[in-house]
Amino acid sequence: MRGTFQYAPSMDATTIGALLGAAIDAEDALAELGESIEDEWSYVNDLRQAWTDRLAEVADGPDGTRTASQPEVEAVELAIDEASLIRDPHRAIDWLSTLPQVVLLAVGVAI
Amino acid sequence: MRFQDAARDGRAVVYAAIQADPLVARSAELISRASLDERILARAVMNGESSDSDRWRRTFPTLFGPGSSGDREHAEAILAASLAVADRGDQVRNQVRGAIVEELTARLLARRADPATVRRERRILFDGVPAEIHPYDVTLEAAGGAEAFDCKWGARGINADVLHQLDDARSHAHDEDEALGVTLVVFDAERSCRVRLDAQTAPHAGTRLVALEQLDELATPGRPVG
Repeated sequence: MRGTFQYAPSMDATTIGALLGAAIDAEDALAELGESIEDEWSYVNDLRQAWTDRLAEVADGPDGTRTASQPEVEAVELAIDEASLIRDPHRAIDWLSTLPQVVLLAVGVAI
Repeated sequence: MRFQDAARDGRAVVYAAIQADPLVARSAELISRASLDERILARAVMNGESSDSDRWRRTFPTLFGPGSSGDREHAEAILAASLAVADRGDQVRNQVRGAIVEELTARLLARRADPATVRRERRILFDGVPAEIHPYDVTLEAAGGAEAFDCKWGARGINADVLHQLDDARSHAHDEDEALGVTLVVFDAERSCRVRLDAQTAPHAGTRLVALEQLDELATPGRPVG
């Protein structure tokens, strides 16, 4: 579900885990677009798996339950929105790698 | 083993114009002195759709937010240069980005080696071995410690041809009792590069990977090659 990020009912209640969950959804949407390059189907899915594993690892770890700050929420929302603008499948493959780097940086954890 | 300038064919002439673009040198210089956060900014903006600089500032609060501890002026310069690259349009931006990674590699190497030994677009010749068609992006032609570098914007650029060319050069040098370090420089996260490499059957055990997180190692004196 591309670009489905939404603020939680209360901004204060938005956790890092919820933000990373939205990023995982955005990765899935990018992968769906990138898969249209048939020669790269395996790479696209391996890449998606590698990065969603990393995002899930952080979301399920100690950082995941932390309440996100307003700049963190906005940064992740904008990064996901940027990814949703991608229409070219080749660019989508590049963003499969770029988006999680931007998101993880925004929430202050290692890529 | 000996090095030789690549032939000035049509591709070389066109690409030389890209390499000579002042934006390439400016971007490479800025990125060569950048933090990892700033390098991720450059990658995102050069690869992005949005041209709104304020939007990018809000996407990178660790660089532009009120609590950021880095060099704000430097981050602003990287943002401006990256937006200028993105503004070139798809076809040209792809070429410019590739040229930036090559120039970045050359500049970092020149911090640990005699700049005169850092060369671009060179072939490596071995006795009795047909020359490769494509030149190496960057070579470090230091006596007793030569190195060859292939430079990629993204992990997807890693392919069998590139890996074979690097490994062939390394093994041919070995056959001549010469040391040649071979390195892939990729302006992308190591995680993505490993995913790409893991799927390759071409030999690459003797090829060093320098990903986005390790770029500064290119400038580190005494860094082992290969």
